[in-house]
Amino acid sequence: MAVSRRKSKDMEEITSTEEEFHPKGTVLVLAIFVLVLILLWATVYLILLSRGMTTV
Amino acid sequence: MSEVPGDGSVQTSLHIDPYERNWMRLTVVLLVVFATAVTIAGFALGFQVPSPEERVDPNTVAIGDGPFGEPGLRAYPDGSYDLYVVAQMFSFAPNEVTISAGSEVTFYVTSVDVQHGFKIQNTNVNMQIVPGQVSKLTMTFDEPGTYDFICTEYCGSAHAQMYGTLTVEK
Repeated sequence: MAVSRRKSKDMEEITSTEEEFHPKGTVLVLAIFVLVLILLWATVYLILLSRGMTTV
Repeated sequence: MSEVPGDGSVQTSLHIDPYERNWMRLTVVLLVVFATAVTIAGFALGFQVPSPEERVDPNTVAIGDGPFGEPGLRAYPDGSYDLYVVAQMFSFAPNEVTISAGSEVTFYVTSVDVQHGFKIQNTNVNMQIVPGQVSKLTMTFDEPGTYDFICTEYCGSAHAQMYGTLTVEK
């Protein structure tokens, strides 16, 4: 029973640590990655539109 | 369902970290936005990609009585053109073409040897040229100027010299 309680307490500590973990640097890097991806994609898309339509 | 170690309780759903969940949501949103933009360009604005027009024999296509036997421009009374181009190592025939501004040009391009590319710079005309197949694409040239067309598929030692010029006159 005592062992079981200790285990439960350990789990709570782990869960508490995870909830407080905020990887700000990783979020910033990913935000920059997404912005660059969107900008590059949008640029190519607008170039495609500006060059005129092709049909078959 | 799985049993949570330690307390014996049963977990009914998979635990996903909030950051991970938001990243997945953002990924799905981006895919939906990109797919929507491509769908609009393709169906609402009418952008189409090159299509294989017909199958031909690469050994005889450029020496027969067909249009590729005498490649070049065909002008029509409505101001439009058909341009038949034969690609071979390391040249296009014809490699100098002149058209009028505002005219619609339909390109028919084939290869008699290996795979080539046909890209007109600063336009959306960009095709793979496969031996045994005629690639077709239509575009209207409104802006006068000189447009270089180049081979975009490495086809041998003189690939870089495989180019031509399309001149759009006022």
